[in-house]
Amino acid sequence: MRKTFFILTLLSGLMAACSEKSDPSFDQRNFTSVIDNKIFSSGIFPIDVRQTSDGGYLVLAERSIQESTFRGVYIMKADKYGKFSKETMLDDNYVNPVGPVIVSGTSLTFVCMDAFSLQAQLVTVDENAENPTITAIAGITYPAAIGIDGTSGFVMLSYDQANKNTVVSRHDMTGARVGSSLALTIGAGEDVEEPIINHFLRTGKRLPFHVGKIPGGQYYLNGFYNYTLSLLFTDFSQNGTLGVVQGQQDDGGFSAVYPLGGNKFAASRFNFGDNFFMPNVNLTTNGTTTAMDLGGYSFPELTSNATVKILSKPINGTNTLIFASDTKSKQIGLFFYNESTGSFLSSRYLGFSNPFEVASIATTSDEGLIVCGTTYLAGRFPRICLLKLSKDDLAGQL
Amino acid sequence: MNSPLKRCQILYSRNRIGLGMRARMKTMMVTLLCLITLTVIAQPKPPKLPKFNKGKEKEVFLKKQWFLGFKGGVNFSGAEVMKEYAVLSPSNYDAGEIAKKYVNFSDAGAHATIEATFYFTGLSLSFQPTFRHNSFRYHNSYSWVDAENPNKILELNYVQQQNLQYFDFPVLAKYEKMFNKISPYVQAGIYSSIRLNATKSVDIHGTDYASGGTNQFKDETIIIGARDLYAKNHWGLIGGVGVYYNLGNVRLNLDVQYRKGMSNITSTENRYSNDQLSGVGDTLDDMKLNSLMISVGSIFPLRFLGKNFRSTDNRK
Repeated sequence: MRKTFFILTLLSGLMAACSEKSDPSFDQRNFTSVIDNKIFSSGIFPIDVRQTSDGGYLVLAERSIQESTFRGVYIMKADKYGKFSKETMLDDNYVNPVGPVIVSGTSLTFVCMDAFSLQAQLVTVDENAENPTITAIAGITYPAAIGIDGTSGFVMLSYDQANKNTVVSRHDMTGARVGSSLALTIGAGEDVEEPIINHFLRTGKRLPFHVGKIPGGQYYLNGFYNYTLSLLFTDFSQNGTLGVVQGQQDDGGFSAVYPLGGNKFAASRFNFGDNFFMPNVNLTTNGTTTAMDLGGYSFPELTSNATVKILSKPINGTNTLIFASDTKSKQIGLFFYNESTGSFLSSRYLGFSNPFEVASIATTSDEGLIVCGTTYLAGRFPRICLLKLSKDDLAGQL
Repeated sequence: MNSPLKRCQILYSRNRIGLGMRARMKTMMVTLLCLITLTVIAQPKPPKLPKFNKGKEKEVFLKKQWFLGFKGGVNFSGAEVMKEYAVLSPSNYDAGEIAKKYVNFSDAGAHATIEATFYFTGLSLSFQPTFRHNSFRYHNSYSWVDAENPNKILELNYVQQQNLQYFDFPVLAKYEKMFNKISPYVQAGIYSSIRLNATKSVDIHGTDYASGGTNQFKDETIIIGARDLYAKNHWGLIGGVGVYYNLGNVRLNLDVQYRKGMSNITSTENRYSNDQLSGVGDTLDDMKLNSLMISVGSIFPLRFLGKNFRSTDNRK
């Protein structure tokens, strides 16, 4: 009898020993954070997120500006738990920030535009979103996208309104041009320019401008060329392009491109509102083809001409492609594909009740995933949201 | 109907009147034999006492005894926050404005307990496996205001109700004092709990002063399975008082326990795992769960269930 009670007490003690313990590392591995602002008219729209060396996160965002359709520059530092730490708002003269944010040591670099001269500006901040330095980039107007070019520079896609050209240029990290640039005509006539200007004024469709370099290979850009939003390939060695994948004016084309090496890409395209994922597609980089002919997996659950972000990331030893996009149910959809085979693995939907839209996805030092987006608190106030998925969470998607 | 003893007496009576001496003697012998036999048969067998009670029959009942019983009742729960967590992270106002406000010991839950108690001279050791349903809620409020027109405000209120189901393994020590049929007692112990299930419901309502008038609105209640958001087990301490009313062999019981949680009931690993709850801006704090439990029930002795022994015998 006494033995029975002794055993019961011992069992209770053992269960107590197994009880939940607070573990701060869990709070870093998984979190959801929404950076709120009490001001009714405040609108913050993130563009990109990068993890900093202290484990925190730096978010580049646009902010609404009174009496202007341009968007101002907002930089926010969150701590390693995703909580608001600091914010920096550049003067209203500096508008339309362009990502992705390029990390160079403890400096983070991006590009924005002078609201009056329309000239591109190179902005560098430290990891705490402080001490911004702004340098004008000579001869470049309407910056539309930047991409990493090796280890010491970046490539920029911009628009030259005076000559109605799409311009691709290479720069070092001070903003100085490197080598020759490439100017590509958008086509003659005012109508061709309209969607481009609407994109910059935020009065129309946001176009998926994109530029980058295939590792060890050519440069690629997703911009207007010859009346059409096209994916172009160039090596800057000649005054023109090596290859063109044509879209359908501004109604069709690529919404995201991620080079996997050689001619192989993970990409997504849109066509009159429909969306198609192509996790494993070979593109002709030295000829003329049409995006419509590429097929792809149709995703009717996505919003019309949805924003798509692609990231390649090893998960549990499997090279995985993550496509992030906006669903009609106002969630952020994550779609996982096997990179080598292109086969679909799984999906996950983030957000509920309030609308959520994706802005950027990035890998973290603990092999997790940080998803940055916009959520509309109370259904109406646009705010930055950070959603962190742990390595284990991601492993569950395989 | 005549009993065997009566039939022997009648037989003896007849013989005395009508038979001779020898026959009479024979009859007497038979009668005596019958009497002895019947006496042996009719004599009730005394209870077989366990070794430890031999020689202590007078107060044997309550010296050592096993009781088995059942009780059930209502409980009221409260959360004791260890560390606050929130999805919303304010950039230009104090986080305290949107902090959760707990409504403790207000919502009734229910529980049912099987009780096995070993009693020994006023002291008891009791094992009381319990199914427990706890309910508590918290609420938080948000507001957004127009910087240029302070009358332009949107207020949102969230009410989050948690319903938790646990299976407890409590071990208690009790000390009781008997006054006639009433036996008040005090008790203390420890418990471990296994989480069985959990749900959360979220009510969102608000007032919109920014759309040209005053508009009060209420969204549909969101009910979400939240089992994984809570720790698989937790433990705590128990203190309480109660009283037995001794009714023959049965002891009726009114019991009040306060269970003080000693470990976190929130799963730290899964705090943000529910996309739906995170989406509406909710995440659980690290917290301990305290409970006031009021029960009624009865217990029965497992030994000496006969007329000769009652639960109050040793106090007569």
